[in-house]
Amino acid sequence: MIQFKNVSKEFADGNKVLKNINLTINNGEFVFLVGSSGAGKSTIIKLLLKEMEPTAGTIIVGDKDITKYKRREIPYHRRNIGVVFQDFRLLQEKTVYENVAFAMEVIEAPPKEIRRQVPIILSMVGLSKKAGLYPQQLSGGEQQRVSLARAMVNSPSILIADEPTGNLDPDMSWDIMKTLSEINQRGTTILMATHASDIVDKMKKRVVEIENGIITRDEMRGGYSSEA
Amino acid sequence: MKLRTGKFFIREGFRSLKRNSTMSAAAITSVIAALLVIGIFFIIVINIDYAATKLESQIEMMVYLEDGLSENIIDTMKTEIRSINGVKSVEFISKATALSNLEKNWGENSYLLEGLEGDNPLPDAFLITLSDPSDASGVALSVSSISNIEKVVYGKEELANLLNATYVMRMSSVVIILILLFISVFIIANTIKLTLYARRREIGIMKFVGATDWFVRMPFIIEGIVVGMIGAVVSTAILGAGYYYCSDLVKNQMIGFMSISLMPFNQIIISMVMLLLIVGVVIGAVGSLISVRKFIKV
Repeated sequence: MIQFKNVSKEFADGNKVLKNINLTINNGEFVFLVGSSGAGKSTIIKLLLKEMEPTAGTIIVGDKDITKYKRREIPYHRRNIGVVFQDFRLLQEKTVYENVAFAMEVIEAPPKEIRRQVPIILSMVGLSKKAGLYPQQLSGGEQQRVSLARAMVNSPSILIADEPTGNLDPDMSWDIMKTLSEINQRGTTILMATHASDIVDKMKKRVVEIENGIITRDEMRGGYSSEA
Repeated sequence: MKLRTGKFFIREGFRSLKRNSTMSAAAITSVIAALLVIGIFFIIVINIDYAATKLESQIEMMVYLEDGLSENIIDTMKTEIRSINGVKSVEFISKATALSNLEKNWGENSYLLEGLEGDNPLPDAFLITLSDPSDASGVALSVSSISNIEKVVYGKEELANLLNATYVMRMSSVVIILILLFISVFIIANTIKLTLYARRREIGIMKFVGATDWFVRMPFIIEGIVVGMIGAVVSTAILGAGYYYCSDLVKNQMIGFMSISLMPFNQIIISMVMLLLIVGVVIGAVGSLISVRKFIKV
């Protein structure tokens, strides 16, 4: 469970990006986070990852108040949250397999576990045959699936997707959405920030809209904009 | 730390060394330069110490006697001196022996001494060797309280000068070494900063998939240590070879009245290797820690 309780974030320059946000996301939900650029979507993601601290309020992930975590506890918190970005963030000099294995290596997973887990996750995202290729040999959609595999390889309970289809053409975007749905059906909670109105409209999932740091809409099976 | 993690760190450390080979070469060169100078100062200080102890152990005391003492009195004095604490041996040197010693020392110039046999101006003397040179002043005091003694002479000033020179040398070495250490640390920190910059994507990924701070830092620290170690090995090799050659060259050269020789190669080499290796590793580690600390904020 993810819970924001009266969360506010004010930057040093006095800009209030989040104003008293209250939001609860249950385990296994699929939530779209929509709103114009600068509305506060990425701040919510950064707060969840503890890349920044809220000015006020508490944020609960699982059953822990993450605002109370000490610095050295942050890495362990992040292992429970997979992230994919608009720009994929793959290592160009590593193969598909190595990029995914890297996420396990750096949390000191046993090599046996790595050899077992990486092929499973690659077949889940449909890239078993491309394991030995380098990112620049892949299409954008395939690269995003590699980054999905990397995000999921340590079996996090939450997946955050920050504009995952932002750099992809419509066909590839739907590929990714299909994979995300599958991941969600296996029980992973998904929070996806997006501007892709057609995707939000067709998926019929929960939509949380944020504008000027305030949640203006929270609908089950909603559309991208309130009229839809 | 697990073994495989260690392997991961070492592999990554060497990989980035290779990737920024120009900058790494610059860093290694600066470490070599710094360690060479540090090593030279170490050699100088050690050898001054070595010469000082050698000289101290050679210290002898001459006790000049008043003229015209009878054999009886001389014998009593000898026994008296021998009973003083810290005196190892006492040898009587008569004025005649002293003159013939002088003639021997002067060699072909000894004709200048001809005719002195009749009216020998040299005094009778005792030659005292000491069991511990640091007792010299105490022994000198006890000896001069015995009657019929004209003068007690030992290399007091020479010893003091030498110890003084050692002190000055030590102090200036410390200052120079500190400056050099500072420069090397700075250069290593800059090298590592470039590596960090080149690998910022990788660092970012490591952080969001949940690598611990130490896990992210470690490869860079290893890289710094490797730079320091390579520098240490090269500079030890240069200094070792140089020292081996020089100590052979200098062996038993006379400078003035002092017989000079360098500390034997096999006595100095181990401490030199240890010193340079430790200093190299420490400046490498400290240098990379400085830049890593600034760069890797979660």
